[in-house]
Amino acid sequence: MTTADGTSLDKAAGVDVAQTTSRRSRLDDLERWLERVGDRLNPILVKETRQALKSKQFTLTFLLLLLCGWGWTFVGASMVGPGIFYGAHGRELFFGYFVVLAFPLCVVVPYGAYRSLAAEREDGTYELLSITTLSPWQIVSGKLGSAVVQMIIYFSAISPCLAFTYMLRGIDVPTIFFALVYAFLTSAGLSALALLLATFTQEKVWQVLLTVFVILGTLLVFWILIIVMLNFVNSTIDFRRWFWLGNAMGLTAYASYFVLVFLAAASQLTFSSGNRSTALRIAMSVQFLLFTAWMAWFWFYEEPGQWPLIFVYLFIGGVNWYVMGAFLTGESSQLSPRVRRRLPQSTLGRILLSWFAPGSGTGYMFVIGNYLTMLLLALFAVVAARLLQIEQPTGPGVPRRLITALPLFAILSASYAIIYLGLERVIVAWLRRRFQVSPLAPLLIQTLILAAACGIPYTIYGLSPANYGNGYSMLQATNAVWTLVDAVDGRSGPEVQFLAVVLPLVALLTVVLNLPSIAREVRLGRLLAPPRVRQEEEDLAGKPLAPLAPVPTNPWGDVPAEPPFDES
Amino acid sequence: MIASDTTIELRHLHRYFGETRAVHDVSFSVRRGQVFGFIGPNGAGKTTSMRILATLDLPTAGEALVDGFSVLEDPDHVRRRLGFMPDYFRTYANVDVREYLDFFARAYGLMGAERQRALRRVMSFTKLDELASKPIDGLSKGMKQRLCLGRSMIHDPTVLILDEPAAGLDPRARIQLREMIRALADDGKTVLVSSHILTELAEMCDTVGIIEQGQLLAVGSVSDIQARSQLRAEVHVEVLEGADGLANWLAQRNDVDKVRLNGARVVFEHDGDRDSEARLLQEMVTAGFRVVAFGSRALSLEDVFLHVTQGRIQ
Repeated sequence: MTTADGTSLDKAAGVDVAQTTSRRSRLDDLERWLERVGDRLNPILVKETRQALKSKQFTLTFLLLLLCGWGWTFVGASMVGPGIFYGAHGRELFFGYFVVLAFPLCVVVPYGAYRSLAAEREDGTYELLSITTLSPWQIVSGKLGSAVVQMIIYFSAISPCLAFTYMLRGIDVPTIFFALVYAFLTSAGLSALALLLATFTQEKVWQVLLTVFVILGTLLVFWILIIVMLNFVNSTIDFRRWFWLGNAMGLTAYASYFVLVFLAAASQLTFSSGNRSTALRIAMSVQFLLFTAWMAWFWFYEEPGQWPLIFVYLFIGGVNWYVMGAFLTGESSQLSPRVRRRLPQSTLGRILLSWFAPGSGTGYMFVIGNYLTMLLLALFAVVAARLLQIEQPTGPGVPRRLITALPLFAILSASYAIIYLGLERVIVAWLRRRFQVSPLAPLLIQTLILAAACGIPYTIYGLSPANYGNGYSMLQATNAVWTLVDAVDGRSGPEVQFLAVVLPLVALLTVVLNLPSIAREVRLGRLLAPPRVRQEEEDLAGKPLAPLAPVPTNPWGDVPAEPPFDES
Repeated sequence: MIASDTTIELRHLHRYFGETRAVHDVSFSVRRGQVFGFIGPNGAGKTTSMRILATLDLPTAGEALVDGFSVLEDPDHVRRRLGFMPDYFRTYANVDVREYLDFFARAYGLMGAERQRALRRVMSFTKLDELASKPIDGLSKGMKQRLCLGRSMIHDPTVLILDEPAAGLDPRARIQLREMIRALADDGKTVLVSSHILTELAEMCDTVGIIEQGQLLAVGSVSDIQARSQLRAEVHVEVLEGADGLANWLAQRNDVDKVRLNGARVVFEHDGDRDSEARLLQEMVTAGFRVVAFGSRALSLEDVFLHVTQGRIQ
């Protein structure tokens, strides 16, 4: 039997079967590949995507987004009227679509991420999750990944509308691209922050307060984003050097804080005997390095030798380390045997790396070290600028008094930070001996210290009308804000000059008073892991591990520590 | 010795919540393949001890080890070899039975064919195969308990901690659960199980621990505890005639106590094992009593529990 074109039917059928088999085989290969990819995906991402696709909340939000998109298409097109055929109205319509997209991105997705983790902790499902082999890092990244998947779905739903606005003319691709990138980054950042907040407390009252805070915060950010984007969309992007520099700087700051928030959330979920601090300290150091690098770039290349840059560097860096220090000095001084297994043990390692180990004493010294590094770098920048002859201490709008104001500001701000943080360390250590201290408590105590140190003398000043107009006095010695403002103002009187000598001494005294407890932390030696743990780690590694390190040494010649319990 | 036969070990475990001593100086150990029953009234400290072992809570003092690993210092190693079934069942919305188990299999790092095998094994063991695509919300209490057990054993742990697994189950489901636990122990798993239903525990446990107000009062097999507590078996003897005489005869013996007359039946407590009971019967017959019925009631776990906890800690 033959076909119309003369080929055998059997032969034709054979070819057809072969083609079908080949197609099926390729499909099977693809499916197997997808299965392997699926295996590598974060389990929480897989589970939450499955859940979301079945949930009413997601369906409703998605439908509402589509309806709003279509609604705005009709309303926008009606408003423009016949002009849509002749004029360039893409910009107006784009902004409407952006508002429609920004709401789920800024409010729904971050709130969903917050509830996703908070609800697990409230309902008890988190307990079951926490006893699996998932690491806290995987749990946070899974939740964040799930938020990103939702964002992508919302983006894809609105993308035809955005394409439509480009067809209408009046808006270019870069503007659309950057607007969407900013919206995406805002949503991802808010989601990470929301996840961090969800880890702070399991108490119902605080959960309710945090929920209100998250909703109001996300609504506020939504509102700000809309205002910023209104200006952005209505202006023409100037793709010159400053646009890219600004974006690169913004992205650096965003990425470094994003990593910090992410690591903080993971550390909050880490088992209490685990190391919750070292990764954060490394991230803080990298962030500080990046910030310093940017400032150096500006100091040497963009705005060579402009003194206000040094002030910006010291101010932003100082505030950053002060806030970070509030958390680090509030850590517990007790190191679990598990953490002690990873302590540096060579003399050089202990000198350089002990400050990255958890503990309030090491945290305090870590912050002081970074403050001093910052001051030295600022000094180095000034000296280098003078040697390179690029120094421009004055210029249009830059008063000459900055030359004296900056060293004063540097010395005083560092001294205040060291004193306040040292005081916080003592208070938190005292509280820890009596109560359980929550992770946010150190920040609260530092805020109270700052409020008392600045508020009490200012209130005393304000209570007597005779003081009005007298300006700064020694009564304000503890008031960092007024003292620093007076120092920066460059017209500081003898009181501030006097404090520039006394406060570093008080700061030194604070460090000395804290020194015994800091030394106790630093003197802790490495513990040997129990043989059972070593055996397990060797089994998991599939090969014998390096032999046990030689006797732990440290600059104080401490004897090696014994394992936490007898394995025999 | 690194890997010993002991898979669960509590050493002077303490857990205080403020002034409340939830667990106070509890020490015991469980060997591989054993089913250990944790008995105690509500608030005795069973769940707290189990949560510490499951790395969900921290001890105030003391140490808890699972397969030689400290729950405090090496929770990651403990979690790899421990399955925990809490006394509550919480789940996720919009998830069916297979997806639920699949999620936990992934969470324990099982991949590809290994995960599929684990799912098949667990679903077959817990008889959940037919319910694979059923939403969890629609499951009965018994099915949920089976699912919860399945979740706790998805990664094939060597130690299972089951907190009140039989609570709220109907008789058939209890029997099924009991059989499952016994099968797990036969498979070499160590099972620590708590329950209010003492008859359940008596039938499946090799060893029991009696805890009250945070303190461990007794540990061992039911017969060990009985022997240590000097608990006596209750013996019933029926004679054709002369029950009064038998009662008098028994009252003179040192190994008999609390002799009561109930018609033709004499009831008394006998201090001794089965062998001495047989000798006693022989002596009765030799003494001329026409015994038509002789039986001793084995002491139940309830008897042991009531005896051990009675008035000890108030």
